[in-house]
Amino acid sequence: MNPPPLAIETREVAKRYFDGSTRVWAVAGVSLQIPAASFYVLLGPSGSGKTTLLGLLGGLVTPTRGDVILLGRSVVHMRDHHRARWRRRHVGFVFQDLALIPRMSLLENVLLPLAPLGGATSEDVARAEALLDRFGLGAKGGVSSERLSGGERQRGALARALILEPEILLLDEPTAHVDADNADRIVEHLGALRDEGRTVVASTHDPRLADDPRIDRVLCLEHGQRSGSDEAE
Amino acid sequence: MSGGSMDAGGWRRQRALLEYALGTFRRRGRRNLSMIVGLTFVVALYASVLLLTESLRHEWRATLDATPDLVVQRMVAGRPALIDADETFGVTDEPGVREIAPRVWGYLFVEAIGGNVTVVASQDAETRWASSLASGRNLRPAGEVPEALVGEALADRLGVRAGDRLAIPDAAGELRVLEIAGVFDHDSAMHSADVLVTTLAVARTLLAVPEAQATDIALTLARSEEAPAVARRVREALPGARVIERSALVRTYELTFDGRAGLLAVVLLPCLAAFLLLCWDRLTGLGEMERREIGILKAIGWETRDVLTARLWESATIAVGGVWIGYLLAYGYVYLLGAPGLAGALFGWSALHPTLELTPAARLEHLASLAGLVVLPFLGVSLIPAWRAATLDPDEAMR
Repeated sequence: MNPPPLAIETREVAKRYFDGSTRVWAVAGVSLQIPAASFYVLLGPSGSGKTTLLGLLGGLVTPTRGDVILLGRSVVHMRDHHRARWRRRHVGFVFQDLALIPRMSLLENVLLPLAPLGGATSEDVARAEALLDRFGLGAKGGVSSERLSGGERQRGALARALILEPEILLLDEPTAHVDADNADRIVEHLGALRDEGRTVVASTHDPRLADDPRIDRVLCLEHGQRSGSDEAE
Repeated sequence: MSGGSMDAGGWRRQRALLEYALGTFRRRGRRNLSMIVGLTFVVALYASVLLLTESLRHEWRATLDATPDLVVQRMVAGRPALIDADETFGVTDEPGVREIAPRVWGYLFVEAIGGNVTVVASQDAETRWASSLASGRNLRPAGEVPEALVGEALADRLGVRAGDRLAIPDAAGELRVLEIAGVFDHDSAMHSADVLVTTLAVARTLLAVPEAQATDIALTLARSEEAPAVARRVREALPGARVIERSALVRTYELTFDGRAGLLAVVLLPCLAAFLLLCWDRLTGLGEMERREIGILKAIGWETRDVLTARLWESATIAVGGVWIGYLLAYGYVYLLGAPGLAGALFGWSALHPTLELTPAARLEHLASLAGLVVLPFLGVSLIPAWRAATLDPDEAMR
């Protein structure tokens, strides 16, 4: 039986930042392979490089060295606008602080990725409303994003990440700012998205999430490197 | 999902980005409003100078339209003096000389209005002034009461209408009664503001110009290019005469008013520079929220060009709004209020025409000039910082 195709692969990818005159390796050479239609979690304490690694996986961060291959294509050497288009077509991203634009309604936020494509058609709006319905936000489309609760904003950001129907979904600490019930609902949604064929990668510092049986595999990070205590279901 | 032909897609993209840009007025209303106010102020200042200058050009062009190709004045002790009315300078046989006409005109101080009135003897009252009569009728050559035509602005200042009688002091200070036969509305406010047209006989009486003499001699040529040659002949025939060529007047007016307008514009440049520096300061500081917003847009799939196009629409909306409001304010300031404070710097002859009302002379070129001096630099200072943020990694822009 053939192994499932890879959605994400990194080869010794690393990212160095400068903190004043000090060099800091946020990610110090990580190689990983994530098959398509799987639900992976990057687990590590605060400062372990999870957010930077997610940024590298999504093409939001240019690596200092190494390579990132998404759906069989290296995104590292793409020109900026090609990478932006690639990201738009294939990757949805949910940020730790959700990054909804204030003083825009939730529906406007969800439709925002469509603006460079010519704006939302009536079908796009219907799809956005269906996504909001799916995540229990059907009545919140017209509400300004800063008036939503943490859980609502989290699910709203998830809807925005999915509006262009990407194959890969990356989430930074998706359960950090919600209570246990909301966290469970979010993991439920992520599991369902994996079941639909999407590749889901979420970072977390919460070991409880790593124990969730709906997750396919946990990759542990420490000091910007794989810690070697990865767990497979 | 979005599709369709390239062209239609391109328009839809622009419309979507414009809608996003207009939304920034909701999110960053205070900042954008302050930009519009600043831009409005700078544009209003600069446009006021442009409008004033243009109106002055209009005035002197209208004046020059009625100016003969050559005017000859006899000089005595360096001052213009009366000249023999039948003087022809020996150029009557020149084929290029169409007409040689003695003119009688001069100034009378009218205490009631605190200024001079220019008395002009009309030898062609039937044609020249008839076409611009706003009320009343033309002069009658020999009425019972001496008659005059006055410009609308002067009529207002004197408080007279067609049919009224006006007592005006002659050169000797003796009051003369004139009937206002009609009121004319001239293209040029300068004419309308101080000209009183009357018959040759009445003008001679008012100005104390003897029968055989005139204020100056006007020469009309078939081709204005011949003016220098004819002027040379006139100087030879009447040594010491002042021969004024229309082309010289054009140059003088241009130098005077363009020079003054240029000077004012230069004075305004620091205002413009200060405003642009302020914009630069506000925009390079790209508030944390705005920089982060650019990072978010990049992260959700916007390209650098999408971010810049949206920023361009936002800045263009501010710029166009500021330019239109500023231009309209300048229009009102110049033509409704009379440009208090600024007019004095441009009107060298304001003492003669204290109530001069400028003829509106707005031009499309003004908007082009404002676009070059204000809008383009403004777009530049707003796009550069956005470009710098948009070319960062989204992650970095969001930090």
